[in-house]
Amino acid sequence: MSINVTGTIERKGFGPGTWAIVTEEGETYELYQGTPDELLKSGVKAKIKGEVREDVMTFAMIGPVLEVKSFKVL
Amino acid sequence: MRKVFILCLFIIGLGFAIFNFKGLATRGTYDSIVLDFREDVPAAQIAGKLSAIAQQYHVKPFLNSEFSIKDNVYIVKGDANLLNALKKSDLAKQTESIEPNYIYNAYEVPNDPHYTKQWNLRSINVEAAWSETKGSGMTVAVIDTGVSRVPDLKDTKFAKGYDFVNDKEEADDDNGHGTHVAGTIAQSTNNGYGVAGIAYEASIMPLKVLSGSGGGTVADISEAIKFAADNGADVINMSLGGGGASELMQEAVDYAYSKGVVIVAAAGNENRNSSSYPARYPHVISVAATGPAGEKAPYSNFGAGVDISAPGGSETGKILQETIDYQTGEPVFAEYQGTSMASPHVAAVAALVKASGVENPDEIEIVLTKSARVVTEDPLNHFGAGHLDAAAAVKFAQKGQITFRDFFRWLRENGYLNLRFWFDGGAVALLPKIAMVLGSYILAWFLRNYLPGWSWSLSSGLIFGSSGLFFLRGFYVFDLPQWPFRVLGSSIPELGNAIQGSSGLNPLFASVLIPLGLIALLLGNPSWKWFAIGSGIGVASCLLVSAVMMPNVMWLGEGLLARSFLIVNAILCYGLSWLSMQGEQKTA
Repeated sequence: MSINVTGTIERKGFGPGTWAIVTEEGETYELYQGTPDELLKSGVKAKIKGEVREDVMTFAMIGPVLEVKSFKVL
Repeated sequence: MRKVFILCLFIIGLGFAIFNFKGLATRGTYDSIVLDFREDVPAAQIAGKLSAIAQQYHVKPFLNSEFSIKDNVYIVKGDANLLNALKKSDLAKQTESIEPNYIYNAYEVPNDPHYTKQWNLRSINVEAAWSETKGSGMTVAVIDTGVSRVPDLKDTKFAKGYDFVNDKEEADDDNGHGTHVAGTIAQSTNNGYGVAGIAYEASIMPLKVLSGSGGGTVADISEAIKFAADNGADVINMSLGGGGASELMQEAVDYAYSKGVVIVAAAGNENRNSSSYPARYPHVISVAATGPAGEKAPYSNFGAGVDISAPGGSETGKILQETIDYQTGEPVFAEYQGTSMASPHVAAVAALVKASGVENPDEIEIVLTKSARVVTEDPLNHFGAGHLDAAAAVKFAQKGQITFRDFFRWLRENGYLNLRFWFDGGAVALLPKIAMVLGSYILAWFLRNYLPGWSWSLSSGLIFGSSGLFFLRGFYVFDLPQWPFRVLGSSIPELGNAIQGSSGLNPLFASVLIPLGLIALLLGNPSWKWFAIGSGIGVASCLLVSAVMMPNVMWLGEGLLARSFLIVNAILCYGLSWLSMQGEQKTA
């Protein structure tokens, strides 16, 4: 399922920490491995096109896992 | 002859009982002996005796404390041989007693220096459980990011594991999460280093399914579950979740369950009204997280599927274990929080329960949930059966060669279609509800002379006024908000607090106002009038029972004020119904 998500990148404090994008509506998506380093900075606002990985589980358990296909820093 | 025979049996039985009685004498340990000299023995004579003992047995007698001078209580280092020698010596004449100086241990407090920071272990009451079992012989599979042998896992036993991410035998950790989780379960304890673990004589089976960045596939996790079941795991811990329903994983869970493995998983960290997968599968114990004060942790999922709660930590206090540093891979003591941390508490206690002799996974779940400390006010099912209690669980397990085996099996058999699901966490306090319904019928009985007979409208009024369809309150459905069930399951007085799910009654609803309105509106209708009258009687009963059993009214507190308010309104409701019926009789 390919979706577009616009929001702010945040580091979430579960385990040693994990990356997420939080939309203005408060939806949290956990960023899947392989997300480009350019995106992995707290506070970055971005528009991400990606796929929700229904077949992936994580220890953070903060929301759907988003595999980034392409993105634009806003 | 018969009497003699019975007497013999009695004496044999008594002898057996005494022989098996584990008094202090058989259990206590001591490395010194107390000499309590008689008070009338002159000090000089005591001094002489003490120096004689010192010479003869090569020991140094000393006063127990500065307060012992008056009572002449002296201590000498020594064992059972010295004790016997002293008892036989002429010392016996000058002393009130010569006895072992037993060492009293309240519970097993480990010598790990950071144990004092582990509030979570004390809050699950683990010390008292340790005096019974430490999980020896059990194997707990940790399906996670792998487990690295940090120094505080040096004395911990390990079973053969597997790395499903990199497909190799060694399942080392490259994140820190899995090692932390393993630490909570079986950190080396009483080793004078670091921190303690809960079932520290159990073995850890490390199964790596999550990559260094913390994600893993359903396929790998399902394989790991099967690996654990096939390689002798007693308990599986999965501090992971997310994604959707997967038949592959459901099958793996069912397979492990059929092999007698207890499966425990984290409820998830979305602060959502539902457990995540895999915690929500049948046969998986879903664990919500609490903070240091036993409150729901802010991030913890709750509601549908949650079976029990355990410490997961919050900003006011996290869970400390030794793990590896994410960046450097070096050992580090780190404080984490999450339902990930709560789940291994339950998995470890499940191992303690199994080590105490309860084998069947259903029975182990029953032991865990029935021994949990119940949270009485839990309308949103934050805590499931309650707070995990290791000591109570172990005690319950030992008591029981479980008689409820057959009774509870059918309770669980069909996943979602079982009673446990409907009454998850025992959220409905049944007793007051039954009292309210019965009360309303008794009140109506007092007015029987005025009643036209028991019509459906009167009965529904009585129920709606007194208790509502209260069983609906215990209804939690995955991914649905719970408040509609609370509203449907509420009586008139409870409607004012049903949506927010608080336990205090809203005084606007818990009063004579609504019955008054209903009667004013419906008095003209020959059938609905009885609904209004019934609801007045029902509300009177509900308010009376609340006043007696749990007076709790918003803004009025839980004391005399709330109680008086409820009683006055109950009388008004009853009077109102009575008055409405007076009119009925005159016109009839």
